Amino acid sequence: MIISFKDNSTWLQVSRYWELLRVLVARNLKVRYRGSFLGVYWSLFNPLIMTGLYTAIFGATFASYYGNSILNYVLAAFTGLVVINFFSASTSQALTSVVGNGSLLNKISLPVSVFPVSMIGANIFQFSVGTLPLLALMTLIYSKNLINVLALIFPFLALVLVCTGIGFLVSALYVFFRDLPYFYELVVFVIWLSSPIFYPAAIVPPQVRQFLRLNPLSPIIESLRQISLSGSSPNLGLIWGSLLSGIIILVLGWTCFHLWRHQFMDLL
Amino acid sequence: MEVIRLDNVSLLRRTQEEFSYDLKKTILSIFEGKYHQPVQKLVLDEINLVVNSGEKLGIIGANGSGKSTLLKVICGILQPTSGVVRVRGHIAPLIELGAGFDSDISVIDNILLYGVLLGYSRKEMQERTRSILEFAELENYALVPLKGLSSGMVARLGFAIATDVQPDILILDEVLSVGDEKFKNKCKQRIDNFWDGNSTVLVVSHDLNFLVKYCNRLVWLDKGRVNFMGNAEEAVKNYLHKLTIQE
Repeated sequence: MIISFKDNSTWLQVSRYWELLRVLVARNLKVRYRGSFLGVYWSLFNPLIMTGLYTAIFGATFASYYGNSILNYVLAAFTGLVVINFFSASTSQALTSVVGNGSLLNKISLPVSVFPVSMIGANIFQFSVGTLPLLALMTLIYSKNLINVLALIFPFLALVLVCTGIGFLVSALYVFFRDLPYFYELVVFVIWLSSPIFYPAAIVPPQVRQFLRLNPLSPIIESLRQISLSGSSPNLGLIWGSLLSGIIILVLGWTCFHLWRHQFMDLL
Repeated sequence: MEVIRLDNVSLLRRTQEEFSYDLKKTILSIFEGKYHQPVQKLVLDEINLVVNSGEKLGIIGANGSGKSTLLKVICGILQPTSGVVRVRGHIAPLIELGAGFDSDISVIDNILLYGVLLGYSRKEMQERTRSILEFAELENYALVPLKGLSSGMVARLGFAIATDVQPDILILDEVLSVGDEKFKNKCKQRIDNFWDGNSTVLVVSHDLNFLVKYCNRLVWLDKGRVNFMGNAEEAVKNYLHKLTIQE
């Protein structure tokens, strides 16, 4: 038990955490985009190219499930890819964040959780300036309703909660198991394939479909598509479903991180 | 006024060699029934220590006796397994300077980053950037990425940031001086200022003459236990006596 009189007030701790988060997020972004001409807009490249690829291969076959419109397929694939991309990038970066800063944690007293959170934070920034405006524009054109544009924040918030929870979990596990990245790659691939991103959920046999519901990203993708592509006003049930899955994952991840945290220092 | 107080502080640490970092192996060993709890070693054993404001305290002992670990517990880097650590005031740990640097970003960004990691606010650091650059003599390198600097320059920068304000508690793991001769003198002067000022200083060193000359009190650690605490000359005498007996 450490008692430090100066940092006794919660406010000081919160403001220190915030300051740390800001400099670490800034560092992550600067390191990532140093000397690159397009900067954060590179992050849009991947989903756009993948969307083109999926459309070229599956577009014609699956169009009948999307009201016989290739455009609808393109947009559905894009919204799904945006979500899975954010998930795989932010959680794999969070995975190495605690171990990667191990030597620093051995020199200066810091709140450990700030490292995975700062990785998620850098991805939030990148998403907000790159993909989010594009999504907002798409939503405005489709729904012609500002409420839908504003409602985009909810599935995104749910996505951030899920990623933070998983980020806590994997960054803690990586301290103990250094071969985790190989396993985690497989996990991400399973989540990728089991979310209805480039195929319509309707083609999956009903017996299998109930297992796909366990995927925490499914309700988020569903809610995002409903808000941006359906043209009707946001469905609160879907929003609550996605937020609930986010909160459950975050609580789970944080609990594990918190329980294991005191063992970290011996292994870093 | 006491600024640091340790009551019955003990620390158990896991020995790393023992541990398998492998998920595959761990799962296999559980199935084979060979899994066992990791072995822990007592690194600090019932340490009681009170340091008063302005005191200069030296810590001596053989390699592996827990000197650096004790400093880490006081800094809050390691949590004691049992016992209570109380610290009042801002600690400046001068343990391996520049541990928080990122070689890909500019010198100015590094000043901000390292300063905030050490516990200062962004605003404070922005105000101090000039004086830090001046002290480190790196005004012309402000926007250069850190990897463009020589290792001596990086060490100078680390020292300049960590010592720009007079801390309440200064922690030194081996008396350090970095850079070329000219800069070494500057370092020494700054440390001397802290020494003469109100700062509480904790120093780990193997330089016994230095400790006798500058410290009010010495702690002699042996295998994680306090073997002797008190007058510097007496401590050094006992310490050297023990060494000659062992030989």
